[in-house]
Amino acid sequence: MMNTKIKIILWVVMFVILVFLPRMFGIYYTNLFVTFAVFAVYAVSLNVLLGYTGLLSFGHAIFFGAGGYGTALALKHIEGISLLTAIGIGFFAAFLLSLILAPLVTRVSGTAFSMIHLAFGQLFYVLALKLRHVTGGEDGIGNFPIPDLSVLWMFSVPIKREPVNFYYFAVVILGLSLWLLWYFTKTPFGQIQIGIRDNAKRIDYLGYKVYQSKALIYVVSGAFAGVAGSVYSLFQNMVSPDASLGIVVSFTPIMATMIGGAGSFFGPICGTAIFQVIEEITHHFTDRVELVTGAILVLVIMFAPQGLAGFITSVKQRYFSSPAAGAKKEET
Amino acid sequence: MDPSVSMYISQAIHGITYGMILFLIASGLNIIFGMMGILNLAHAAFFMLSAYFCYQVVAVTGSFWMGLILAPIFTAFFGILLERFFLRRISGVGHMGELILTLGIATVIMGLIKVFWGTESLPVAIPPILRGLVSVGGLDYPSYRLFVIGLSLMVLLFMVLLLYKTRLGKIVRAAVSDRDMVNALGINIPVVFMCVFGIGTWLAGIAGVAIAPILTVFPGLADQVGMDAFIVVVTGGFGSLAGAFIVSIIFGLLSSFGVQFISDFAPVLMVGFMAIVLAVKPHGLFGVEE
Repeated sequence: MMNTKIKIILWVVMFVILVFLPRMFGIYYTNLFVTFAVFAVYAVSLNVLLGYTGLLSFGHAIFFGAGGYGTALALKHIEGISLLTAIGIGFFAAFLLSLILAPLVTRVSGTAFSMIHLAFGQLFYVLALKLRHVTGGEDGIGNFPIPDLSVLWMFSVPIKREPVNFYYFAVVILGLSLWLLWYFTKTPFGQIQIGIRDNAKRIDYLGYKVYQSKALIYVVSGAFAGVAGSVYSLFQNMVSPDASLGIVVSFTPIMATMIGGAGSFFGPICGTAIFQVIEEITHHFTDRVELVTGAILVLVIMFAPQGLAGFITSVKQRYFSSPAAGAKKEET
Repeated sequence: MDPSVSMYISQAIHGITYGMILFLIASGLNIIFGMMGILNLAHAAFFMLSAYFCYQVVAVTGSFWMGLILAPIFTAFFGILLERFFLRRISGVGHMGELILTLGIATVIMGLIKVFWGTESLPVAIPPILRGLVSVGGLDYPSYRLFVIGLSLMVLLFMVLLLYKTRLGKIVRAAVSDRDMVNALGINIPVVFMCVFGIGTWLAGIAGVAIAPILTVFPGLADQVGMDAFIVVVTGGFGSLAGAFIVSIIFGLLSSFGVQFISDFAPVLMVGFMAIVLAVKPHGLFGVEE
């Protein structure tokens, strides 16, 4: 089996690169990679809704922010809490919030779904700004204590102000989340969501419960966005309305997903990478980054509506596969 | 008269003024949505663009009235460009594509506005005739706000006449209920779409000019007012003008009285109202199930 061999080699190469990345590229690029990893998980969690289930949310930052604020508040107020518990609290905060919102939002789809999220996103943004005694208002919560990570109760690793240690920690947590999400989309239930996207009525007739399935997907998506937000707040050692709940935070993963290709699992990850490279480059030339990203978004929709993944698939079908294989691709 | 009563009345006038402006924006959104099924996320950006055009026209000609006439027309022109050269080309991609395209356009417009006009807030002076107070029944009302209410009512009347008394209105109403049939009857639907899109952005433009002297012109305008207008459309029901009107007035009053009594949480009131409405009626107050 040539294919499995290549796959194993690729995995090994990726693993080696991940292990030695801080040594090879230095702190700046290591931190850049952590940002990338956070937003990749965030974009993938959005894509579970957008690409797989066909629900476009304009307020996914709600869950990103819930994770961030959950972790930050837990670390600030609970004495002697362990790091993983704090992340668990962030996860749980986003999980709970999506559980509360799910009955309300799963009843609608299409444009109404997007707009309700836009409004709720704004609601939570304003709440975070105004509930000063809890959230610290515009300044957010900064410089909260980050405990050392204890590995197997044997030895502990300092995380705060140790970017390399944090890098390994973040890669493990985010990699695990990515794997779980990937696994989720491959389960039979994960396939139902594609059915809901393509023909909700037929899924209903087949005996699956559409609203409940949607709600479950929604909760999974929200909870993993919470993990991303939680790691991000640890990374910055800071959580603020603009960085975690603002409208830009909701739109960034949408743009990344559209550039990479909605509906493909690895599309949003590639999209996030491309998006970050574009941002890095444009920062050198101009302050108006949003102008460039907006223009790119328009171009992508106009000329490659399936994103990079769709573009690659169409090239592959045209040049690298037999007609039968191409037909099979289209079916799935 | 009792001072608290007069305060309530003036607060109500403020609320209705804001509600009317919201209604102008929301009705433009609604007409476009009802006709074409497109929720134009760039609508708020057009609204803001018009406020900037108004500032520019006033700066060049020195007359607010020229701004009131010209700025919405310029804005409508850009709206028509958007429909003709962008939206029409991606009609095969589906609603999600349209949403994201208009989002991208909105981002670009807001970015360009910052490039051309900078980020500080620009004042637009109220024309001298409307500067004073009008006293009715022993109470003083700021005349500019009354003018805005009157202007909105006039535009509303104009819209009703256009929709129910002209041939274009007849076509539009027919196309809302069955687009394919109208197309089959030999009416050039793309051109009608272009007109409707132009009228929709023109309405946003009027709102932009009307709000310019009240709030001044600044880059956060689209987020602040535009978001409220989107909430109005969702709550009132997509494509429903009556719903938009009622909800606009309710929201205007909620926001002006909200600011007075619980100043920090006024925006929460509106979203809370929306959440309650949607929990009971998922498609909005006057929305129709898809």
